This record gives sequence, structure tokens and C-alpha cells, in this order.
Amino acid sequence: MSEIHLTINGKPVVAQSGQTILEAAKQADIDIPVLCHHPALANWGACRMCLVEVKGMRGLQTSCTCPATEGMEVETETEKVVAVRKFVLELLFSERNHYCMYCQMSGDCELQDLAYRYGLDHWTYPRPFEKMEVDASRKYFIMDPNRCILCSRCIRACSEIAANHTLGLRDRGARTMVVADLDVPFGESTCVECGTCLQVCPTGALIDAKSAYGGREKDVIHTQTTCMQCSVGCDLDVVTRYQRLLRVDGVWESEPSGGLLCVDGRFKPLYEKRQRVTGPLVRKDGKLVAAGWNEALGIVAEKLQSGSCQGLAYCATTDEALTAFARLFAKVDGAAGRIEPQVAPLGFGQVAKVQDVLDADVIIVTGAQPLEYQRVIGYFIHRAADQGAQVAVITDDENGLSARAAMTLTSAEAGKAVETAAGAGKVVVVYGTEIKPEVIAALKPLGDEAYILALDPARNAQGATAAGLQPQEPSDVDVLYFLLGEQSEDAALLAKVNGAFKIVQAAYHSPLVDQADVVLPTPIWVERTGHVTNLDGSAKPLHAALLMPENVRDEAEALAALADMIG
Amino acid sequence: MIRSHVLISGDPQSLTRGAEEVRLAIETELHYYGLDDEVQVAFLGHVDRTDVLPLVIVYPEGVRYGPVTPEDGAYIVQEHLYKGRIVEHLQAPPEVLSGPIAHLPGREGAVYAQKRVVLRRAGTIDPDSIEDYIEHDGYFALGKAITEMTPEQVLETVRASGLQGRGGAGFPTGLKWLFVTKTDEKERYIVCNADESEPGTFKDRLILEGDPHAILEGMALAGYAVGAQEGYIYIRGEYAQSCERLERAIHQAEEFGLLGDNIMDSGFSFHIHVHAGAGAYVCGEETALLESMEGKRGIPRIRPPYPTVSGFRNKPTVVNNVETLANVPPIILNGADWYRSIGTKECPGTKVYTILGDVNITGLVETPMGTTLREIIEIYGGGMKGNKQFKCAQTGGASGSIIPPALLDVPMDFRNMAQHGAALGSGALLISSEDTCIVDLAYVLLRFFKFESCGKCVPCRVGTTQMLEALDRLRRGYGTQVDLDRLEEIAEYASQASFCGLGQAAPVPIITGLRYFRKEFEAHARGECPAGVCPMGKHVGPAGEQAHP
Repeated sequence: MSEIHLTINGKPVVAQSGQTILEAAKQADIDIPVLCHHPALANWGACRMCLVEVKGMRGLQTSCTCPATEGMEVETETEKVVAVRKFVLELLFSERNHYCMYCQMSGDCELQDLAYRYGLDHWTYPRPFEKMEVDASRKYFIMDPNRCILCSRCIRACSEIAANHTLGLRDRGARTMVVADLDVPFGESTCVECGTCLQVCPTGALIDAKSAYGGREKDVIHTQTTCMQCSVGCDLDVVTRYQRLLRVDGVWESEPSGGLLCVDGRFKPLYEKRQRVTGPLVRKDGKLVAAGWNEALGIVAEKLQSGSCQGLAYCATTDEALTAFARLFAKVDGAAGRIEPQVAPLGFGQVAKVQDVLDADVIIVTGAQPLEYQRVIGYFIHRAADQGAQVAVITDDENGLSARAAMTLTSAEAGKAVETAAGAGKVVVVYGTEIKPEVIAALKPLGDEAYILALDPARNAQGATAAGLQPQEPSDVDVLYFLLGEQSEDAALLAKVNGAFKIVQAAYHSPLVDQADVVLPTPIWVERTGHVTNLDGSAKPLHAALLMPENVRDEAEALAALADMIG
Repeated sequence: MIRSHVLISGDPQSLTRGAEEVRLAIETELHYYGLDDEVQVAFLGHVDRTDVLPLVIVYPEGVRYGPVTPEDGAYIVQEHLYKGRIVEHLQAPPEVLSGPIAHLPGREGAVYAQKRVVLRRAGTIDPDSIEDYIEHDGYFALGKAITEMTPEQVLETVRASGLQGRGGAGFPTGLKWLFVTKTDEKERYIVCNADESEPGTFKDRLILEGDPHAILEGMALAGYAVGAQEGYIYIRGEYAQSCERLERAIHQAEEFGLLGDNIMDSGFSFHIHVHAGAGAYVCGEETALLESMEGKRGIPRIRPPYPTVSGFRNKPTVVNNVETLANVPPIILNGADWYRSIGTKECPGTKVYTILGDVNITGLVETPMGTTLREIIEIYGGGMKGNKQFKCAQTGGASGSIIPPALLDVPMDFRNMAQHGAALGSGALLISSEDTCIVDLAYVLLRFFKFESCGKCVPCRVGTTQMLEALDRLRRGYGTQVDLDRLEEIAEYASQASFCGLGQAAPVPIITGLRYFRKEFEAHARGECPAGVCPMGKHVGPAGEQAHP
């Protein structure tokens, strides 16, 4: 890349070769309006808002697609350019129902902003539009074609970022419509509810069901934190207002997902149905009753010192809490471990980062279902496949990735995947706990050249490993201490719980909580501070977007207090 | 021993008028007289006249019968082929035009009825017979190129000939080829744009159906010149017969070793595939065509990069029109100087026009570049229908300029037309008489564009809707000066701001119509239609109700 020099509105601008005029202008803080352009998406050039005049070039140029060249002289707000922009806006306002007053995006709408900027004070053209049906067949969001300007950002997001190709266009010309699959109701489509389309929509055509009318941009608070729903650990932009959780957005250009989220991170936590534990509980006369922190911690400290004890944690909490947990049990000579199984290392290859999937030439998936859990990895695999990567799924059961994989092999055929990888550039092996020993043996010839991405099922697996927590089963001890955090126990764990004295530290009520002798509350993801270590091994910060309920304390703090009490 | 040939016109028009039945009747009758072995029957592609279809030509006498019914066919066999007597009363009336025409208004010297380069074989050979094609110098150019010339020489000959793209834009063909050879990428493609969708244009179809091998040869030559090994013909989906004939021709050429691997043992390989479109006008735009060929939605791509750098499958691609490619074999065979001797200095060669509208003879003519519109109307069109006054012409298809009588004597080529603010385009010539209303004409054209806009960019998608709306108000007598102003404004902006040629050219009929016939538009704004065509004051349903004109 070499430096090039151009002038924009008479101002000298330095840009890199290969950059568009728009990018060069942006660097120089010159604002060129856009509607169909989005920095996270491929250029499209359709809305014609970014037209500029370039000296020596015939007609107007779309700055989002026109490469900046040495010596170029660009004017971005000439009379002609402004007239054409205004014309385009007037046409857009005549095309469909852009009656801002009743739109939940009013105030935050890119179309409306531009209408103000270019002084649209009345409708210039007749509005022969027809009323179109709103598609509310999806749970988390609504599609209102009446507000759509056909910029196709959502379509590009769906195919380029999520690689899901659900959205597309139907018909042509004035009859063009954004549709899901072959024009089925959105709710019956192949949509995976990653919500990326919502985040890129410039108008009110794609509406988040939860945050609609919940407050304009100027009313809300944005807090950047890390998703704790799985071990990928995507960056989240949490939107709140008056201590109410409105919406979660992805963060563009962040590691590891680049702004892509999944339904587990973006929507599901906002629809939590479980009953929250809002303060310490102590069993008295066979009943759990509210207690003060000092009383509850006192009982726990006493019990931990009175007999044999074991601590079991779901790795669904912070690095700090897991470390404090391990430290506490070291102090009382109790065993401490994690509840989730752990993925064993393969014994060959180099450790891959999540982003390594994207530029892989061959991807071998085995013993994991990344489209079901750690979904962003699954979408990344689709994206790599779209760009020509060969995907080999080795499984003896069903796997969602098979549908778009180059080959699906049984464990016995695993050698074929190695043959495919032979001579290919970058090979990434994505595996989970279900990997079979014979597959490991078959993949071994891949050697240390291969990149290995182990999908540990625990949300903060790396944090647990750093704290020295290994998988353990509940044993025959006097006191069992469960650190559940937000994750309620599964039936298998519940069945293994014996008659010991049970201390449960959890955010939500569950059968195990209800059996417990002492219950300590924990914060949930949106209230947490501290760190979580993701698959890539980076300790990512957590910032609280909401305050904890009054009687809730962070696990790390509570565990440290316990350790202090034990002395 | 074959002593006679019976050729029956097999173009779509003839087929709908019963050419199949005529052939069956003739064959049955020949069989009855035991003449099967002596007389050969074949279909012709396009014939040069359309007034007497189905046409039956008997060689070696060269007698033309038409229009022929199955009964006539049987009678011709009986009389002409069995008894040897020409059936006078079934003969087609003599051609209105043949031989030199002495006096032409505004032009000195003699002009031959037609100068046929591209269409020289169409109508005289059996398009389904490669032998027939070879007999008429077919594949000689390819043979000459491969055995006697280097690819550079072929390219240089085409450059020197001054051949320009006949799809409408008139871009120098040799230059386009040169761009492709300048790329580092070795995987290159030749694409023949046969998505002829311009209303009233059917020149490519007649070449495809009358002389399919000429396209294959032209593509193979292009492939040889630029180093491509694969060629694709993107053909309009409605052209089922062209598609069939092309596929048959490809098959024949492969059997003869004139296409496929290692052509004539030269080491040069070239394969041609046919891809049928699915009925979208915009897919004639070359980048939309490439998108469609890749199996995507047919919408134009961002340029740059141009197809010569990143085209089909992102590889360097030559996209040439059918007529352009049909010009290549004669250029290679006869040389650049020969080609430059035809047409004008700036624009050598011939142009195939389709004449339609209010003239006595509509159809297809091939004339040298530089023929004037007046010559076309007077000579080839047989004058205005009913001796009406000429009012305007539209050149180049639906998005072409509207031309007033003042431009009748401009020698038509790409350059001259552009200088007069008009475009030669694809060669459709819509001739309108005084009975035509300009507003109505513009309305009909805009209805087409509204229907065919791909919907990608705002100015075209919404602009065509709004222009149609304004025109509809004007033609129904509800329009005012406001509608007229609005129409003019949208036309101007949409032509500047649209993404591709479709949107940029769609307002051209309005812009040029207003330029030359503003008074007529203004009359409509007052509720009057001078030509008495528009449904003033009548309720005729919402704008754009009918999809196609």
C-alpha cells in the first residue's frame, strides 16, 4: 500500500491506495452522507446519497465505490451534488410510508437525519405507495416493509457477516421487496436470529421487539462488555435506559467476532424467565428464609471448617470469582473442581484463534455442534466455506454443518479429511468433547502445521483452567459447595447430589437451589465487573451496565469475605 | 443425385404462419412422385423479406414462391418439380427494391439496396447445416487465423478495422480485446451478449437463427486473439429457436473439430456454452449479464473493475454483442482495409437496423454506416404509411433519443449521432407519423422501464415510477405545469444519478421529447392532445397497470 494525495473540498487529504473516496474523506473528517453503505459490509453503490463531483470525471461518482487516486480533486457538497441528494431523498420519501412521527426510529433514523440535513420540509412528489403487511412472525424482531428503503444492508449482513443467506430480494423495479428465503414469513424461514440485520438497518424497517419505543439514542446509555453465554466471548454493546435493559448490539471490528453475535448473546438473555435469587437464604425449620449476608456467610464459614468439603463450579462466572473459589478451598483443604467436562488436547498442532477459521483453506469439524452452541464459530465456518474453504464434518450422528460442508464423513472415514487437507494451505481443526479417539488418531498425520480450535463447553473454561479447576464429580463429603452463577444445574448433576450440607451460590432459583441449606445470590452477566477469558485466551473486561439488586454481591467479593472469615 | 433444392423459410414468423405444414405437404408430395432422392428440402433461417412468408425458394432456378399454403406447396411440387413448369401465379411479387437506385434526395451517387456483411449468409444457407456454412466461406477466417496468423495479428487486424461494438455503445472492439490481453490472469472468457431485449430490435435473433456458425466462428476468433479457452453465449430466454440452433451448431462444429480441444491440430482449444436468460431487460447490461450467468440476481455490478479486468467468475472477460462478433470473421478473411472501405471514416462497416412503425415496409436491413434516416425511410421502409407526414423517429430502442425531422439527413454512425445528442444504440428505428402523440409515446416507453428497472438504485427504481405517474396525469388530462416541471426535473436528475445505463438512459425519450416537442407536452398540461391520441379526461386505470407495452 502506498500513500496517495488528493484534495477534498480544497483540503489536502492523504489516503492509502485502494481506499475509496468515502474512506479517504472519513479519515479527514469530511462527512459524506450514505444510506446503503455500511463499513462492515461490501460496497453497494445503490442509494446514490454519496455522489460527489470529481474534477475530470464525467458525471457524478459514488464515493463509496470510486477508488481515490493520486491528485484527485473531489467536491462533496456542490450545488449539483446537493440537488441530486435532495432529489434522491425526495424520491425515497415518496416510495413508501416514511411518516416519521409514528416510527419508533424517529430521532435515530439515518433517512430522517438526512432529510433534516438537506432540508426536506414537504413532500415534493406524489406518494402512490401501497400499504404492505408487517411481518411479525419472528419472536425477537419485526420486519416492516413500509419503512424499507431497499438499501440491502440487511441482505448483505445476512450473507456476508452471518453467511446465512436468508434474506434476499423479490421481484424487481418498484415491486422489489426484501424477503426471507423464497418469500416465506420471516418466522418460518431459515433465519438463525443472529440479529445482525437489525443492527445495520438504517431506518425502522427491522425493529427490535424489546427496545422499540424504549428511548432514543440520546436517552440511552451504552456499556461495552463481554458476552458470557459461551466461551467465544464476543464484545457486546449493552443499551440501557433508567436501569432497564433495552438491547444488545455487536461491536464492529472487535475480536473475536467482528460484530457478529448469535441469538444466545443478543436476544435470549433479555427474555430470561427464571426467578432471580435476590438475597442470601438460609434453611430454618426446613424452609429457606431470607437472611443477612453476615449470617449466611457465618454459617458457610463454620460449615466449611467443620468437616470434609468439596467445591464444584460451573465456569459461568468471572476469572476473579473462579480464582477466589479455588483459593478458598485450598485454604479449607477441600477439593475444588469444575462441573462441565473439559476438552482434552489433541497432542499435535498449534493453538488456533477464532479468527483463524475465517481464512482457513480446509476446516475439519468433529465432536462439536458449533451451529447449536458457540454459534459464531458455526457462522464463521459457513463464511469460510462461502469463500471457498473445504469443510469436512466428521460425525457419526447428525450435524447442522453437514448441509453446506464439502464432505461429511463417519469416524471410520476420518482419514479422507486428512487426504483433503494434504497440500492445502491453512488447515483448522475444530473439535469438541464428543471427539472420538479413533478420529484423533486418524487426524494425527496433520501434524503441527494444523491449527487446532478446541471448543470447550464451559463458558469461562480458560479462566477455570488458569484457576486450576479440573472436572470433578460430587464426592461423599460433609459439605458440598456449588458455584452455579447464572447456569442452573442439569438433571445429571442433580441426580448425583448426595445428602451433604449444601451451599449454593446462584443467580436463579432451580431445584438444586431449592434443596440447598444456604443460598448465596450472584449477579448476572449484565451486572458483572471483572474479567472473563475467552477461547482465544484473552482476558476480556466486563463492565456492569445495570446495578446489582440491593442484596446481591459479586461472587469474588463474597468468596474473598469467606476466606477472610476463615482466616 | 440431387437436382433441385427447395428452401422453406423457417424463421419464427413463417413457422407461425404454417411453414411446418408447408414442408410436410411438399415432402409428402415429393414422396408421392418418387422425387425424394432428387430434391432436397431444407429450412432457411431468416429471409430478407417479411411480406410474403412462408417463402419457398426452388433452386437452381431461384424461383421464389410466397406466401405459400400447404396446398400451394403440393401444387408447386406437381407443376414445378415434376412437370418442370414454373407456377406463375404463386410467385412472390417482385421485390420492391433491387439493384441500384439512381436518385436519392440529399445524397449523390448510387446506393445499393443493402450492403450485407453480417447478414450475407442469413437466408441463403440452411442454418442447421455446417456444410452449407463452410461452403459459403464458413470457418475460413478461423482456419486462416489459426494457421497463418498469430493471436496478436488477429487482434491487430480487428483494431485496425475500426470495428465498434454493435450493442449500442460503440466501444472499439479491438481495444476491449486488448485490455483483456493486458491482464496477468490466464483464465479468460469470451461472452457473447445475445440477450437482445430492446423493444423492436431483433437483429441479433436473425443472425443467431440464420447464421449461427458465424457467431461461433467470431467467438473462436476472439478467443484465439485474447487467449481465452471458454466462451459463453448468454441468450435471451424467449429465443428458444435461436438457442436450439446454436446448440445444434456447437455440436456440429465440435464434430467437425472446429470447436473443442485442439482445433485443427493447432493446440488452440475453445469451448462454447449456451446460457439462457430468464426474461430481464437489465441482463443485457453486461455486468448484470455476468451476475446472471453466475447464477445470481441480475443486477449491475459496481464499475470499476470493468469486465475486461474482472468479469465472469472475476476473471478478465470480453463481452461482445452478436452483431459485433458476426463482423469478425469477414474482417479476418478480407482484411482491415476492406472493412474500412465500407461505412464512414470514423465508423467503418455496416449496421443492421430493424425498421418499425409507420412505414410501408418494416423489417431488417443492413446498410453501410452513414446511411441517413431519410434514406432508410424512403428506400428501405418504402416511404411513410398512408403518405402521412413524418413526425419523429426513435433510434436505438426504448431508451433511444427522439429525433425530429431536422435530423433526417444526418449520416447515421456512432459519432455523428452522438454529436447531435442522439444515439445509434442497438439499431432499432421506430418511425412515427403525425398521428403519434409524443406524450403517449413517452408514457408507453416509461411503462416499459418501470417494469424493467432492476430496483437496485433509487433514481431508477423510484424515478421511473414518478415519471410514469406524471406522464399518466398529463395524458389523462389531469396534468398541470407542475407535473411537467416535475417530469423534467426527475428526468434530468435520474439520468445523472442512476447506477447503470438502464436508469441513465430511461429518461432520454423524455429529455429529447421535451427538447424537440415541448409545445406538445405543454398542450397536454392544458388538457389538450394535439394528435388526438391520449385518453383525455377518461378514466383508464392506474398508471402502469399493464406491464409491457
